[in-house]
Amino acid sequence: MNGEVTSNQARSSAFVVSEKKRKIQKFKQKTGEGALLLIASFVAIVVLFIFLFVARDAIPFFQIRGFGEFFGSSNWYPADDPPEFGALAIIYGSVMVTAGSALLAVPMGVIASICLSDILPFSVRQYVKPVIEMLAAIPSVAFGFFALVVFAPLLQNHGGPILMWTWWIVAAPFLVIAVIVAAELLTSSITSESAKRNASIATGMVLGAISLGFLYFVGNQLQHITIMSGTNALNVSIILSFMALPTIVSVSEDALQAVGRELREGSYALGATRAETIVKTILPAASSGILAAVILGIMRALGETMVVWMASGNSSAIPDPFYNYLDSVRTLTATIAGDMGEADQVTGSARFHVLFAMGLLLLIVSFVSNLISERIVVRQRKILSGQ
Amino acid sequence: MPMALEATGMKKKSNDSAVLDIYLPPERKKIEGGGKPHVVAKNFSIYYGEFEAVKKVNADILSKYVTAIIGPSGCGKSTFLRAINRMNDLIPNCHTTGALMFDGEDVYGKFTDEVLLRKKIGMVFQKPNPFPKSIFDNIAYGPRLHGVKDRKTLEGIVEQSLRKAALWDEVSDRLDKNALGLSGGQQQRLCVARTLAVEPEILLLDEPTSALDPKATAKIEDLIQELRGSYTIMIVTHNMQQASRVSDYTMFFYEGVLVEHAPTAELFTRPKDKMTEDYITGRFS
Amino acid sequence: MNLGTRKLLDRSFTALGFGSIVIMGLALLVVLAPIASKGIGAIVFQGTIEHRKMLLSEFGRGDAEKISKEEASAKEARQKVFDMLATFDQELEQMDFDRQSKYRNSYEQVKSALRGLYGPLPGDTEPALMRFQYGQTRWDKAEEKLHELLYEQKWDYSNPDVIAKPYDVSRAAEFEGTSLVKLFSYVEENLDRMMLPEWTIYWGFITDSSIDAHFFGGIWPEIQGTIFLAIGAMLFAFPLGVIAAIYFTEYARDGFLTSMLRSANSTLAGVPSIVFGLFGLAFFINTMHVSHSKSVLAGSLTLAIMVLPTIIRAAEEAILAVPKTYKEASLSLGSTKWNTIVTVILPAALPGILTGGVISLGRAAGETAPIIFTAAVSVGTAIGIGDVLSSPTPALSWNIYNLASEHEAAAEIRHVQYGMVLSLVTIVLLLNLSAIILRARISKKLKG
Repeated sequence: MNGEVTSNQARSSAFVVSEKKRKIQKFKQKTGEGALLLIASFVAIVVLFIFLFVARDAIPFFQIRGFGEFFGSSNWYPADDPPEFGALAIIYGSVMVTAGSALLAVPMGVIASICLSDILPFSVRQYVKPVIEMLAAIPSVAFGFFALVVFAPLLQNHGGPILMWTWWIVAAPFLVIAVIVAAELLTSSITSESAKRNASIATGMVLGAISLGFLYFVGNQLQHITIMSGTNALNVSIILSFMALPTIVSVSEDALQAVGRELREGSYALGATRAETIVKTILPAASSGILAAVILGIMRALGETMVVWMASGNSSAIPDPFYNYLDSVRTLTATIAGDMGEADQVTGSARFHVLFAMGLLLLIVSFVSNLISERIVVRQRKILSGQ
Repeated sequence: MPMALEATGMKKKSNDSAVLDIYLPPERKKIEGGGKPHVVAKNFSIYYGEFEAVKKVNADILSKYVTAIIGPSGCGKSTFLRAINRMNDLIPNCHTTGALMFDGEDVYGKFTDEVLLRKKIGMVFQKPNPFPKSIFDNIAYGPRLHGVKDRKTLEGIVEQSLRKAALWDEVSDRLDKNALGLSGGQQQRLCVARTLAVEPEILLLDEPTSALDPKATAKIEDLIQELRGSYTIMIVTHNMQQASRVSDYTMFFYEGVLVEHAPTAELFTRPKDKMTEDYITGRFS
Repeated sequence: MNLGTRKLLDRSFTALGFGSIVIMGLALLVVLAPIASKGIGAIVFQGTIEHRKMLLSEFGRGDAEKISKEEASAKEARQKVFDMLATFDQELEQMDFDRQSKYRNSYEQVKSALRGLYGPLPGDTEPALMRFQYGQTRWDKAEEKLHELLYEQKWDYSNPDVIAKPYDVSRAAEFEGTSLVKLFSYVEENLDRMMLPEWTIYWGFITDSSIDAHFFGGIWPEIQGTIFLAIGAMLFAFPLGVIAAIYFTEYARDGFLTSMLRSANSTLAGVPSIVFGLFGLAFFINTMHVSHSKSVLAGSLTLAIMVLPTIIRAAEEAILAVPKTYKEASLSLGSTKWNTIVTVILPAALPGILTGGVISLGRAAGETAPIIFTAAVSVGTAIGIGDVLSSPTPALSWNIYNLASEHEAAAEIRHVQYGMVLSLVTIVLLLNLSAIILRARISKKLKG
């Protein structure tokens, strides 16, 4: 057999085409791919445009009024003559309800995600996930309606007792556990078994009595609080925490799942309990992913409009004292939504542009935190894959 | 330790791709009009990025005969097979050097239309992979691609292909049922039929029976015997009994190098290379 | 620490986890339960004769003969009240000024409560607003009005340290010694004869348009607006999203451009919804002039941008989940890449892509903030399909806000608000539920 086969034989073979045809083919492929790329980059163009157009209407405000008043004053009188555009109280209101909701949603969400990924059996998980998805799907205006029509009157009329019962239900179990652990730790230096036992019971009794007194004292204080208005920062924080929960749970569950089984098995093999394994091994490994989840959840709360608009009370003053969650507040999102109706949309007064300035502020904050959380996720993936 | 020694022996062999005599045992008939070099590799190498997965292979694959490719896993046998109809194009940063000729034309040439090429060189994969469509639509998928629209013609092609793949009698009454409802062995024969429907010249089989039970495997092997003589068939297998049962020629790959390429009966009875001998006698795998 | 304590800590940790999950479930329940129970009350309730009268004259529904008979019997029962009023009017005339002014104020309140129950009293001029032309259409509200009639609400300011508390004062005691005193016990005892309550299932709540700013009638304009906006958004976002997902999964090569595009996608997903509204106003309406002012088109475009990242992500996941072997099989048969995508990959990924689409549809239907400045109006009638390019529309999400927060008589029409919230939540949750079911089916199918 002769192997004399050369490639410059006649191009009559079934799969080789003429140069021209090949060029046309390549051209078609490239244009097709280019068209797809164009459509895919539509999102990037939109992001660019959002920045551009929000900034375009925001900049005139800063040109007219400068930065000092917007960030430095809390006098918000846009309709007065002369108007005042001090947004400090409004920015503070946004920060306040976001912090409040984070305070509630972050611990709950992280623990729930741990429970979902490491504690619950698969059969139960199947039913929990749709619950989370449904919580995420409920429209924000429905939450807002609930906050305004159901929750606010409840807080206003029975605020004290509600706070007291919540305090008892939440704090009592923690204190019981803390007392037992503290009694155990305090008596750990005693060597004799029976003496140790007695000592630890005695310490537990004393500590238990003290904490019971503490519980009762705080509960009593709470019960006598009167809430002047149910539409306040506490109400909004609670409802916003419901809305941030699904995000935190699902994203941090992904992070926990990404931590391999090997790590878990290694810890169990050393005789660690499940809680120890989770707290000492899994959480540190997943910490950056959980951080990303927390950032996303907080952003959800910060960007939410309807709940805060309907149920925050919309008073543009910094609460007194500044940590008073029972006071009404006003947020950036609610101000944008509420004031646009009165602002002159056509000619564009300072009153119109200030709302865009607020939008730009929100946009920048969300953009930056998004970038940060993305970086964190990428870094964690790299660490876990061992690069 | 013997590895290093054999590596030198290997080198000597692999470049020696002499014209192969057609040595056939009596039960395997010589094929009229076959035995021409159909696929020719000349110093053909395949790289994944920097890594050379197939190293400077020289070989003539003869038309109408069955060539088996054996070797330990990771030796490059599948990579070589997939290079023939350019399925490796799917893998990012995979490239080739040297020449791979089919019908006297360079498969990796500048003017090669890989779509037309794949029409000529069909492939059946490790796991049966019918589309989640009806049996009829699975077979008709290829012909429709290549412009057959007439229902009567399609029906003819479907029947013919299924008959060739020895599946017609089993499925003729349920052509409109989902192909995923078939058994594994039937699915694999369906995949063969689907490939035959586009009338290829070469049939590449990439471990076609590794996911099947022994009974279904036997049917596929029978089918290969049926198709021998009509198509040039290349089959990658890790099962040496299978290679000796179905093939006329066998190529043995080791770490990307074509160690030995010889008529099957010869390779399995009188291997020229120590490495081949060790492998076929099961001393390593 | 000894083993016992460690185990205790472990158990309490587990309990904490269960607790969080339970709280999440409870949160869902606590929010949905009042919405569901009271929302159903907008459709199923005890309707009075006034409700049937309203339906007959405004929508031409109901048995005219039966209603006029009922009306006559209700009128007969009410007549006695009207007679008492007339008697008291005369009595009031004859009183000296001091006593007159003592009763005058409270008497006006009595009359206004009665108007709330029966509609206009004899001798009143025909009211201009529809809401005053009929009495109480719902029995639960009628009972509230009865309470208003029987008791005067006063505020207790005696303790300056706490908020003033309201308390009730019986009007019967107030009018002791006048002829009017009989009226209260009469109305209390005969209220059902005067109002003729009857269990009603009012499906019209969903299909009727509203009358007099939602005092009567249904919420069809809002439902229709929501459907228009959500479907309009999907018309733009779905094809775009799927094509972008195809590019990302099948064509994009790793590199700066791709990572930038992906980054843009997650940035877009994180933009606060109100900012979308600002952008829609500044870009679609003020710059592109897609419509003169707010319109369904502008709202749909804004919503489309908002749901785009969700659709892209879902479609990407669905395409990546298609077994690679399908693609290999198709290519090895001599199919081009594009052909393979269209004939093999997309059909196999379709259920997953649709799941994402359905969830996004729900999201578009439920969002409020992006449509405030671009599409929503508070009152209005249903718009025709031809007007979507130029007219704004009422929409469920916006009108829930509007009725609950800005309506001049928000407390009077709580049942309508609840009904709207329930409708919206039902639409959104049904869409999500179907997505969940769709996905469960896919995973079952993939497992074989």
